[in-house]
Amino acid sequence: MITPPHISRRALLGAGAATVALGSPAILRAEPASVKLGILQPVTGALAQDGELGRHGAQLAIDEINAAGGLQALGGAKIEMVFGDARSNPEAATQEVERLQGEGVAAIVGGFASPICLAASQAAARYNLPYIVDVGVSDQIVKRGLTNTFRFAPGFGMVTSVALDNLVKLNDAAGKPAKTVVLVHEDGLFGSGLAKLMQTELPKRGFEILETIAHPTPARDMSNVALRIRSLNPDLVIPSSYYGEFVLLARTMLQQHIRPKGIYCVLNGAASNYRFVREFPEAAAAVMDCNHWADPRNPKAQALKKQVQDAGKLWAYNVPLNYSCVKLVADAISHAGGADRGKIVDALAASTFKDHIMPYGPTRFVNGQNQGAAPVNLQVQDGDIKVIFPTEFADAKPVFPRPA
Amino acid sequence: MTGRDLLPPALLIGLLALVPWATSSNTMLNFLVTVLIVALAAQGWNLLGGFGGQFSFGHAAFFGTGAYATALLQIRGGVNAWIACLIGIAAGGVVGWVIGVLAFRARLRGSYFALVTLAFAEVLRILTNAADFTGGAAGLLLRLDVRPMNFQFASRAVFYWIALVCVAVVLLLTVMIERGRFGAQLAAVRENEEAARALGVDALAVKLRAITLSAAITAAAGCLYTQYFLYLDANIAYGSWISIEALLAAIVGGIGTVAGPVIGALTLHGLGELTKGFAGDITGVDLVLFGLLLVAAIGFAPLGIVGSLRRLRVVRLSGGAR
Repeated sequence: MITPPHISRRALLGAGAATVALGSPAILRAEPASVKLGILQPVTGALAQDGELGRHGAQLAIDEINAAGGLQALGGAKIEMVFGDARSNPEAATQEVERLQGEGVAAIVGGFASPICLAASQAAARYNLPYIVDVGVSDQIVKRGLTNTFRFAPGFGMVTSVALDNLVKLNDAAGKPAKTVVLVHEDGLFGSGLAKLMQTELPKRGFEILETIAHPTPARDMSNVALRIRSLNPDLVIPSSYYGEFVLLARTMLQQHIRPKGIYCVLNGAASNYRFVREFPEAAAAVMDCNHWADPRNPKAQALKKQVQDAGKLWAYNVPLNYSCVKLVADAISHAGGADRGKIVDALAASTFKDHIMPYGPTRFVNGQNQGAAPVNLQVQDGDIKVIFPTEFADAKPVFPRPA
Repeated sequence: MTGRDLLPPALLIGLLALVPWATSSNTMLNFLVTVLIVALAAQGWNLLGGFGGQFSFGHAAFFGTGAYATALLQIRGGVNAWIACLIGIAAGGVVGWVIGVLAFRARLRGSYFALVTLAFAEVLRILTNAADFTGGAAGLLLRLDVRPMNFQFASRAVFYWIALVCVAVVLLLTVMIERGRFGAQLAAVRENEEAARALGVDALAVKLRAITLSAAITAAAGCLYTQYFLYLDANIAYGSWISIEALLAAIVGGIGTVAGPVIGALTLHGLGELTKGFAGDITGVDLVLFGLLLVAAIGFAPLGIVGSLRRLRVVRLSGGAR
């Protein structure tokens, strides 16, 4: 028989008294009830890497707000994160929204992938629960007339039109060295959508598309794609793929000595990822991308980047985006004066939030889409990821055509 | 068919029907709706795989057809949601029949049949992912318009009951098949096709009937999915996840048993959800448990939960008689 450890009555009384003594200052201060904030990210399944980055960004913002004394407008109320794992699929995301609703969160931030955001925001709409999309680029997200859904970042249409304009600008400034293009794209939402758009838009802007090559995700071998590019010998390769596939393509192109004048990515999973730059510096050199990114000139963004990198974590766009989205909600909750959902939705709709670290204009939501949001153009230079467009946020000049 | 055959499924459905009165938690109801949709897909799989012995790896082909037909008819054709669902179920049945004709006429069996069904599902996934008509990779979004006429309900309980009615109808159908002539023919084809044919069973016709019915049931799950989540893309509708869910639930619950798929889906997802609660910060532990359960089910209880319980009872009864 196992005897339970003996606890004397005296010891128990002592412990109880100590607990009361230690606990009472908190009671005396009468700390206001904390505000629960739902963070929904896919941290298992195919999107786990992005989900973890998003969660980290949200955590950083919450920690910072709490360390600075909580929400001042609510008498220093702390923000409490209630995390939900969306598991990389819409059903699990919906299930987590229901759970978060049950736990009484004031709003939900996150989702990452478009299908997750679509399903989760719709589930939240049943309760008029404010939902802030962190990344999900599908333009359907903000075209459903859901009053609870807000997207702080730019959508697909916005990113692609900026990407096209900047490509022309880049090429013109360099004396139009690029005339021929090969499009490589994954066959999912953004890859095929982008390819379709490029096929109609690029010829109008003086580019000739030699071929459009689709590949599935995941793809384990890119040598056929690379060989095809070599035989076509384009000036420019425009790939839109997820992390693994683009890394594979860039490496294969390097091995096969395929050196186009430029690699210009749009919303690419790897081109603006420090892991890729660190692991394959040669393959990553001079690769350009049009994507979400933090404002490199913003001191707070610089400090946060340093904090993240010093902790040995990855600095990718998910981190500043989720950080900013949490700050945005915190600001709206402060303006709403509490966790009343209707008031938070109104506060978001009227938001002019400035305390973010993204290269955006003033925040203004129209039908849930932030009109101030914009992507930037990035380029891998000297083992670092630099912003090259727009000039008011840039911290480097574009290198194009790529030096031999 | 006797009252005794109907008692266990009726009890199961009766218990499940009471849930909305026992809890007002939408978390629970939403969870159960997802489980019921999976259970329905698994019931479809079980009819062909369990009773007919034709293992399909591509029930996503039927699930997706039901889902896409429901969505497309509403979005492109302006058809009423309820009618769209009925047509979706029929469309699933037709796809099942076509695949059946192609595969069974070529006398494909066992792993060959499994691979062909997998290939059909994949082809459909790639086609819907590429075609503009099906919304391409961006998928299809049904407008949120909560009205009973649109098959959308403000209360999760109503949808839950509708899904439960679907499951109950299929349970009843399965009992009827199991006890009827068709069930006997299916079992004969499953155990020994040559012997069945020698006894005068038209094996091809039996298998075609089974796959059509099976496909229609799984398509019904697809229709429910569309109406519940109001969004689908090629990977959701025709992705391998639902093929796997369907056969996993049926195998764990009890392959070739009436209530097996429902019990399997409830057990697998219930345990998953429970461990998710316990696991806390360790992400993915429930998925590990999922895998362990499957290994355990195949290793120690190849008859599944229902089959093992039944065997246990037989052993006890025979022990008592001694």
